Amino acid sequence: MITVTDLTKQFGAKVAVDHLSFDVRPGVVTGFLGPNGSGKSTSMRCMLGLDRPETGVTLFDTRPYRTLAKPLHEVGALLDAGYVHPGRSGRNHLRWLAATNGISRSRVDEVLELVGLTAVGGARVRSYSLGMKQRLGLASVLLGDPQTIILDEPANGLDPEGIRWIRDVLTHLAGQGRTVLVSSHQLSEMALMAQDLVVIGQGRLIEQSTVAEFVDRYGEKWVRVKSPAPHALHEPVRRQGGEIEEIDATTWHVRGLECAAVGEMAAAHQVVLHELSLQTGSLEEAFLKATADSQEYRSGRLADAPAGEVGPTS
Amino acid sequence: MMNLLRAEWIKLRTVTMNWILGIIAIAFPLVVTLLTAYFASGKTDNDDGLDTNGLVGVLTGTAVVASLLCGVIAAASITSEFGFGTIRPTFAATPRRMRVIVAKGLVALGFAAIALAIVQLVGWYAGSTIADARGATIDLDTLPTGVPAMVGAVVLGALLALFGYGLGLITRSTPAAVAILIVWPLIAEPLVAQLLVVATDNASIRNWTPLQAGFRLVATDGFVDGPSRVAGGVYFGAFSLALAGFGAWLVDRRDA
Repeated sequence: MITVTDLTKQFGAKVAVDHLSFDVRPGVVTGFLGPNGSGKSTSMRCMLGLDRPETGVTLFDTRPYRTLAKPLHEVGALLDAGYVHPGRSGRNHLRWLAATNGISRSRVDEVLELVGLTAVGGARVRSYSLGMKQRLGLASVLLGDPQTIILDEPANGLDPEGIRWIRDVLTHLAGQGRTVLVSSHQLSEMALMAQDLVVIGQGRLIEQSTVAEFVDRYGEKWVRVKSPAPHALHEPVRRQGGEIEEIDATTWHVRGLECAAVGEMAAAHQVVLHELSLQTGSLEEAFLKATADSQEYRSGRLADAPAGEVGPTS
Repeated sequence: MMNLLRAEWIKLRTVTMNWILGIIAIAFPLVVTLLTAYFASGKTDNDDGLDTNGLVGVLTGTAVVASLLCGVIAAASITSEFGFGTIRPTFAATPRRMRVIVAKGLVALGFAAIALAIVQLVGWYAGSTIADARGATIDLDTLPTGVPAMVGAVVLGALLALFGYGLGLITRSTPAAVAILIVWPLIAEPLVAQLLVVATDNASIRNWTPLQAGFRLVATDGFVDGPSRVAGGVYFGAFSLALAGFGAWLVDRRDA
């Protein structure tokens, strides 16, 4: 269990994390989401005592990180897979890390095997791909077999097989009752992996809930109707306050009415239906809607740019 | 603490640059000493050849270069952690930062002391053997300051490592720390010393600048003005310790 209370971190006049409070329960994967610059990585560093927060405390099963005598046995954290000396081998990187917490050398070989890096464990890290560095980072997280796992963008640079592998590993670890907090920009991946979400924007908590609740609250919902005679229902639907969007000759979407209401109207007007289903938006749509006011770096719309102004100017 | 010392030793010995600098730090004084012992030992009509003072002087003089290289290794042991970001996993694995800083410092000091001890022991025995074989008369009993100077070279190596480590802790940048380590004895201290001499009209005050005082550790003569060997060593040691202490305080309170 991770409990974050009133965390605030400033860099000069810039407030990176603003009185942030949330908790992460064990047994599920919790996604930590936010736009670029929203304070996710800073929050994680503060939680681990790497950055000194102005206010706030983070407890790992009732204890601050700083008081943990052998933290690798209790909290495994990967903040950036690039935090490795490029001239050192992957195995030696794990060996010094293991030595700090009295972890045996045989455990180093075990975790290398676990992440599939045994064959290249003796090679210098500068020869590793980003995906291999992510695997090495995950090996360092698993060294002490910790109860709590914190990962910042662990799927960065991984190929599809690697992404699936990391999802399976984290789901498996959460299934063992561990506390897993993962930040990621890959929302489709997060939708598959996470059960809970902590969403922040401009350093402040926007939402803490399950993924289903979050999508339900922020995502769009509509009823998809497929009928050989769709126009027979248009008028009754509009009378009830429904908004119709025609997709093709036989398919339309209804917003503002429940599935049951549309079904009952179809029955009352003896309209044959081939499909009547409730559609919900994706996590990505819900996320963009929830963080719309918190986007620090907003992209320009390419469609709005005059022709020839997208490419280089010279 | 033993776990941390082991971890820091693994870090130190698994970076190729440290090996290269370490080998140079040991090989350079030995090669110069042995070549001097070989070529300067032969007596000529005008010269009695190499004597004990000469051999100890070469050995301890070149040890200053070795000590500076040990200072570079010590500085890089912390600056490279900031440069490559490994300071974060380091402090995540050991949240009590002072323990890490102390362990890293001890390993750097130990490495320097052992390297300089090897240089002094091997250099003396091999150099005196060669010089004896070439007809020179080498006898430490004739030079009362010989052994203290060679022991002083070992202490100077450790203290320059501490000095470099302190610079590394403060600057957190390898180029900056190495540049200061080189510029300090060559330009900064002589400049400050000269200003002090002019300001106080006291020429012996130049012997009281920190590194000049530290160099007293390897002197075989010339103790008329300024601190004695022990006083100079203690003075430079205290200065280096204060520098490292200030750096440790900064690292402890800053964001990693």
